[in-house]
Amino acid sequence: MYCFLRLSVLLVGLIVSASSYAANAVQPLTTADDLGPKVEQPIEFPHDRHAGDAAKGGMEINCMYCHTYARRSIVAGIPPLQKCIGCHQSIESVRETPRIKKLFEYWEAKKAVPWKKVHDLPDFVRFNHERHIQRFVFAQNKPVQEACGYCHGDVKTMTVARRQKPLSMGWCVSCHQKDHPVDATSTKTTHGPNDCWQCHK
Amino acid sequence: MSITNLLENWSDFRQQHPSDDRPHREYKWAMSIDLDACTGCNACSVACYAENNLPVVGKEKFAHGHSHHWIRIERYWDNDGREFADQGAQFLPMLCQHCEAAPCETVCPVGATNHTADGLNSQVYNRCVGSRYCNANCPYKARYFNWYDYPTTDNVWPEPMNQQLNPDVTVRGKGVMEKCTFCVQRLTVAKSDARSEGRSVLDGEVQTACQQVCPTGAISFGNLVDPLAKVGKQWMTQQVELNKDKQAKDTAEEAAKLRGYRILEELRTYPSVMYLEQLRESAI
Ligand code: SF4
Ligand code: SF4
Repeated sequence: MYCFLRLSVLLVGLIVSASSYAANAVQPLTTADDLGPKVEQPIEFPHDRHAGDAAKGGMEINCMYCHTYARRSIVAGIPPLQKCIGCHQSIESVRETPRIKKLFEYWEAKKAVPWKKVHDLPDFVRFNHERHIQRFVFAQNKPVQEACGYCHGDVKTMTVARRQKPLSMGWCVSCHQKDHPVDATSTKTTHGPNDCWQCHK
Repeated sequence: MSITNLLENWSDFRQQHPSDDRPHREYKWAMSIDLDACTGCNACSVACYAENNLPVVGKEKFAHGHSHHWIRIERYWDNDGREFADQGAQFLPMLCQHCEAAPCETVCPVGATNHTADGLNSQVYNRCVGSRYCNANCPYKARYFNWYDYPTTDNVWPEPMNQQLNPDVTVRGKGVMEKCTFCVQRLTVAKSDARSEGRSVLDGEVQTACQQVCPTGAISFGNLVDPLAKVGKQWMTQQVELNKDKQAKDTAEEAAKLRGYRILEELRTYPSVMYLEQLRESAI
């Protein structure tokens, strides 16, 4: 009896582990609901209103208007509250909406909005925004939203941004292995570096 | 990255000692250390601690060989059969020599230590599994193993010291091998700035932390590919060549006045650090 019990436990264990192995094996890198964790921001920021297409009620603001550091530094940066207020103090039409009211509450309390990080890479990874923006937006003349979208997804259709891409090493490397044109006009192509120390620290 | 991809493109991922058909293209970082100028003050070692988030392990662990200085000052006495040396100690700063044919690289079971296109010996902490095989194979004993989880359990950076940690460098955890990186975080920034301006890194634009603090300027660092680099000129005056394991100094009689040498060259590791011999009164 005892022996049978042991055998059945073993069998169940085998089946469970085999099936979980199979499930792991077929898992694709990106799935429809692989949007990363849903991050609750202090203010539900409408990216779609700010960056979205004019036809859909967006204002088509350049990503780099608020994320000013992207083109000249390793991090893209979050705009200071002053930047939000700079525009919003003269936009009367939305002044009384709950989100903007909250914004002004922070402003009057002289406190920064505690935005949370959505695209958070591990500490041992070094990602340089400047390099990618210089390469794709300035050298290759790609539209900003397309270039940012390679990693951040179609942010102009989102309210609070969510992670859209796996941001795993394999995913980064898969792009670094492709040949991209060096600039808008030339036919010369190169791929990204694949030396470990380029990204790891 | 899939394992098939890694294996198929192995030569791409693992740079080798460049021969004539595969020379270093844009950068080859190298160093030269003038032992005549070195006073053994240890400033380089301290700077390296600060720059690279090295844990200060304390006397007891140090005695167990758990030290973490990526650059150490070795002392040698020339007693010549007498009880005391009459000229005091000779000092020699020892750091990872960034060997072109690094013995540590070939033995890593997971490929955590590699050769970069810039001629650096890279150590990728998050890939390291702690076999310590590289340490055993390094003839310069320039690698240091993290035996403890210093950041957390040993609290080596109590508040407010954690504020001085360098955000450009990882705080390594337990079970990981580490070593001098030629301050790669500084190299990456300099290279990135240079690329934005469409040029190569200029000589003197980037300094390693140990070089920066050396009060006597004993350490020089730069790009060997750049014909204007000070290090390259020093290597040239001393007739030391990167890809040779027998230098002019060892062969020709009249070359005895050349001071440049690399340590344990006969092992054919082709180090990237050249030392300049100390001139001694007795030798003149
Ligand atoms: S000095 Fe040691 S750790 Fe550095 S590259 Fe040479 S063998 Fe590797
Ligand atoms: S080059 Fe940088 S990492 Fe290497 S010993 Fe000097 S300070 Fe330390």
